[in-house]
Amino acid sequence: MSNNRSFWVWINERLPISGFLKASMTEYYAPKNFNFWYFFGSLALLVLVLQIFSGIFLLAHYYSHANQAFDSVQGIMFDVKWGWLVRYIHATGASMFFLVIYLHISRAYLYGSFRKPREVLWILGWIIYIVLMAEAYFGYVLPFGNMSYWGGEVITAIIGSIPVVGDWLVSIVRGGPGLGGATLTRFMAFHVVLIPLLLIVIVVVHLVALHQVGSNNPDGIEISKKLDAHGRPLDGIPFHPYYTVKDIYGIGVFLTIFAIIILFAPTFHGLILEYDNYIPANPLQTPHDVTPAWYLSPYYAILRSIPSKGLGILTLGASIMLPFFLPWLDRCPAKSVRYRPVYFAMLLALATSLLVLGWIGMQPASPALLPPARIALGVYIGFFILLPIISRFEPVRPVPDRVRS
Amino acid sequence: MSVKQDKDEKDSEVLDRKELSKRRFLTATTAALGTAGIGVLAVPFVKSLEPDAAAAAASVVTVDISEIPPGGHLTTSWQQKPLIIVHRTPEMLATLSQVTSQLKDPDNKVPQQPSYAQNIYRSRKPEWLIMMQVCTHLCCSPTYDPKKGTVSSTWLGGFFCACHGSRYDLSGRVMSGSPAPENMVVPEYTFIEGGKSIQVTGLDKKSKLC
Amino acid sequence: MLRIGLLAGAVIFAVVYGGVGYANEVQVQVQAPKYQFNKKTIIRGGIFFAQHCLTCHSMKYIRYNRLAADLGLDKKFIKRNFMTPAGAKYLRGMITAMPPKLAAKWFGVTPPDLTLVARYRGVDWIYTYLRSFYWDPGKSTGWNNHLFPGVAMPNVLFSYTGTIDGKGHVLKKATYSPQEYDRITTDLTAWMRYTSDPSIIVRKKIAPYVIGFLLIFTLFAYLMKRAYWRDVH
Repeated sequence: MSNNRSFWVWINERLPISGFLKASMTEYYAPKNFNFWYFFGSLALLVLVLQIFSGIFLLAHYYSHANQAFDSVQGIMFDVKWGWLVRYIHATGASMFFLVIYLHISRAYLYGSFRKPREVLWILGWIIYIVLMAEAYFGYVLPFGNMSYWGGEVITAIIGSIPVVGDWLVSIVRGGPGLGGATLTRFMAFHVVLIPLLLIVIVVVHLVALHQVGSNNPDGIEISKKLDAHGRPLDGIPFHPYYTVKDIYGIGVFLTIFAIIILFAPTFHGLILEYDNYIPANPLQTPHDVTPAWYLSPYYAILRSIPSKGLGILTLGASIMLPFFLPWLDRCPAKSVRYRPVYFAMLLALATSLLVLGWIGMQPASPALLPPARIALGVYIGFFILLPIISRFEPVRPVPDRVRS
Repeated sequence: MSVKQDKDEKDSEVLDRKELSKRRFLTATTAALGTAGIGVLAVPFVKSLEPDAAAAAASVVTVDISEIPPGGHLTTSWQQKPLIIVHRTPEMLATLSQVTSQLKDPDNKVPQQPSYAQNIYRSRKPEWLIMMQVCTHLCCSPTYDPKKGTVSSTWLGGFFCACHGSRYDLSGRVMSGSPAPENMVVPEYTFIEGGKSIQVTGLDKKSKLC
Repeated sequence: MLRIGLLAGAVIFAVVYGGVGYANEVQVQVQAPKYQFNKKTIIRGGIFFAQHCLTCHSMKYIRYNRLAADLGLDKKFIKRNFMTPAGAKYLRGMITAMPPKLAAKWFGVTPPDLTLVARYRGVDWIYTYLRSFYWDPGKSTGWNNHLFPGVAMPNVLFSYTGTIDGKGHVLKKATYSPQEYDRITTDLTAWMRYTSDPSIIVRKKIAPYVIGFLLIFTLFAYLMKRAYWRDVH
């Protein structure tokens, strides 16, 4: 026992481990009323770790040469021992990453977690989301199936619409005419090294920003305003052990669902692994519907709903950038949807518009779908435009000064 | 640990002990299950690094020997290591019994060859030597020197390793005075297509290349 | 509870609406095969494939030796029934002996590799395709297909389908019974479903253990959480 203590003392004189654990876990107080929506931060971290590990073991077998990429992926599925498992984990993990992130973002909308003093936290999170979309896009091109090829072509073409530097940018992204071997090797550099490093750094900063201001909670009130005699929040509980054990339970539920998907429906009817990507890349034949993965589909629907190329891309860009301004658009004194019935209706409309756009994005292009897409786009943009006005005047239920469970 | 800061101290103590042991049990069990789960999950990941079915398929190699004349030889590669096939003449075979006293392991006691090659010719058919041309000292590739009197005045033909001077006879058996400990390895092979080709399939588990 | 329900609803919504169908040349209604997907039907389909389809179509990702482990066959059986093309090697893939360039010359297009066809066409499409050939004197092979107009492939199953023209009139009766016809097409479909994802065999085997373990783990994790959270009011 004494050996243990003195070893610990020795280490802590050289690395601030005990202090760090105290500040971030055992003496870091989080609101005690976290609900279902608060699982998804730790789950996102879990999925990130899963993706990195499965990615490394895929990288051990993948060939990034245009002639060999597709076959190397099939080699992983057919020849490598347990290769199919590693690949399915990585593909399902990618979709799960977005599902988890969308639920994580929903929590922020529901409870006003983007409001002061958490503006930087929100901005960092939204940056992580955008970087994640880039990571998913580069990764999707790597298997070099026909969807990989054409999806890669289409998105790199969008870059070309940037005025002045567009064409040059496309040439440095593609490394040649069309999507070729040069594109594949650099996409691998981005997908395997550049973006994972970026992601890890931004996630760490995101967590630092969180610990600086403390978590929000479903009632939207600041627990740091009511402290006890020791200076601890009355409505707070130490993150460890309470939220460590709760998150472990959440991980158990998540992994069970994850395993069910991988073992019983790994392609998930074409949502996780698209059918057309089982055909090798063919520069001479576009698949019938070049739809992106489901998690990018609302943006695709937005793009398709605008008949002009430049205006469409601008609208797409605006839809992705608008949420950055959210902390300053919401002027209501109350944060949480629990006390804001009008905001609740707005959120329902926002969520519906995104689901409708998502569904439309996965259908083949059709003129009949343009009106609903445009209406949904209108609702989506309308949410951000109307929020500053409505939030000033909306009725607010009495907000408690202590949290409700 | 407890957040019940307004409860009676003694009551909390009693409750805590029962709660504590329950918590310890559950924590220990969950931790054990979690560790076991991660351990089991690690197995397929580690196994995925083992040579795959493509590597296994590449390990079976067929070599056409029909064009090798008597006295001729062919060097090719098997599993990225040199494989030599020598079509030995009767004169070459005669030297094998003349060098017995110079050899470390003339009777092939060390299992560096399959059972059908445990003879003076170290092969299925006397005239065909099929052997890994890898010196058992430190893995260099010994040169094939069949001509008499080249390596030394008493040289009857065999292999000479330039790295550290190991010598072998025309069956790959190591000579005394060489730093190499064992005879060169004969792989597992069969004759196919009526003797026109050989198919090398693997190495005997007990044999050591170098 | 409500939230879990909403989430489940969202997932179901996604599954129902998510799958992108094959709206291409389909004027024909794609039929779903009624079949058993098990080792027996897979093996039967595979043997038929090896004896009738391997002459033109490869399945290069399926090595012969994996049939032993996956389907419980021995090497002799595989050699006799599956390794039909010249030059077939036990450790290597099912490659047709027909040279691709010559095939392209004869048929106009190289017969595609079929390992993954069940992935990008789907099981229903394959089943319907095999049953949609009709006699068309305008084509060089004499055959056309309702599901794939202008297809270069002749009707290999003509003894099972009989010779039927574009309007459904029977020009020559099938030499096999309708049951055998149904059986051969469902067997082939089962075989192609297996080859497109052989991992299904292992997945089905380990699923109860993996999910069972995870459920037990989650249960203990929940009990642990509940024990600690007793303190929190």
